[in-house]
Amino acid sequence: MSSEDTGDSDRQRADQLACTEHLLQKSPDAAIIANLGVASYALASVEDRPRNFYCWGSMGVTTSIGLGLALATDEQVIVLEGDGSLLMSLGVLSTVAACGPSNLVIVVWENEVYGTTGGQPVTGIEYADAARACGLWAREANTVEGFEARYAEALAYDGAAMVVCRVEPVDPEARPQLDFAHVTRRFRDALTDDEGDR
Amino acid sequence: MTWIDDVIAGLRENDVSTVAYLPDSALEGLIERVEADANFETVPLAREEHGIGVLSGTYLGGERGALLCQSSGLATTINGLASLSKPARIPFLGIVSRRGDLGEFNDAQVPFGYAAGEVLDDIGIRNSTMESSANVERAVDLAVKTAFSVSEPYVLLLDATLTGAKDEF
Repeated sequence: MSSEDTGDSDRQRADQLACTEHLLQKSPDAAIIANLGVASYALASVEDRPRNFYCWGSMGVTTSIGLGLALATDEQVIVLEGDGSLLMSLGVLSTVAACGPSNLVIVVWENEVYGTTGGQPVTGIEYADAARACGLWAREANTVEGFEARYAEALAYDGAAMVVCRVEPVDPEARPQLDFAHVTRRFRDALTDDEGDR
Repeated sequence: MTWIDDVIAGLRENDVSTVAYLPDSALEGLIERVEADANFETVPLAREEHGIGVLSGTYLGGERGALLCQSSGLATTINGLASLSKPARIPFLGIVSRRGDLGEFNDAQVPFGYAAGEVLDDIGIRNSTMESSANVERAVDLAVKTAFSVSEPYVLLLDATLTGAKDEF
């Protein structure tokens, strides 16, 4: 990992739960789209809130959901993406850059493993470099302090932004509700404050 | 009124605000109209599967979306439809040019295109195939209404007999 932005040691890895806790404190009203597996479990273990949308499937489309949401609302949208999931759909970054919503921050938890299937290694890449090649603003971190600084910059950036945070693999015990339709309705109602189409 | 006028009318009558698409020769005229219409926010996709995510986000944000693509692209969306749209109860309208049947010259388009409706049926995604330009506005209108009332996607498959087959024979 490049240390150009963080000044952190290459060997360090941040605590994903501490970083998740920080972003919730910093952005208490943000609408959050969490990738299936560890990203969702970590989010649910820090705080289960109506503005959390947890994916239970569809690996590879998490960032796409965040993009569509950011285009549909003026609220701050945060995507909690996994490195394996992003790698499955890197092409979406070109669409994110083309649309460029300034209310979208994509956080990539780079734990370098497929956490939900047993920790098999991800054949990783330089995700921030890939994002920049697509035209996105992207920074890296590998400590909680580094993440806090990059996350603040990403929120302030006038365009879609990405923070790639290298983290220790974690295995939180918390699980979001399995009632996927309930998660959808709760999230949508929290954002729209009406009964919508249901 | 052409079938393209009818689709535009059906989308606008039902407040469809976001259209995600990949280029397709059969839908070229429709995509150009949508891009030029300030009533629609257009999202140019790199892969049709991403459209399932984008339009799910559209719905989560309180708006309505449609996906325009051809049947080969629909093939890339199956996991998204089956593991996001259907179980999470997230609707959108799919308008898909269906290859592989009458007018098809390309063997690579046949297996999925010909079976597209059956595959959607198998994963519980309702769909209709339209063979002619009669009643297109009515079909789009009702498809959007049932999708957003029932809270799951609905796909209209437009055959080459409607959109005009490529003259490659």
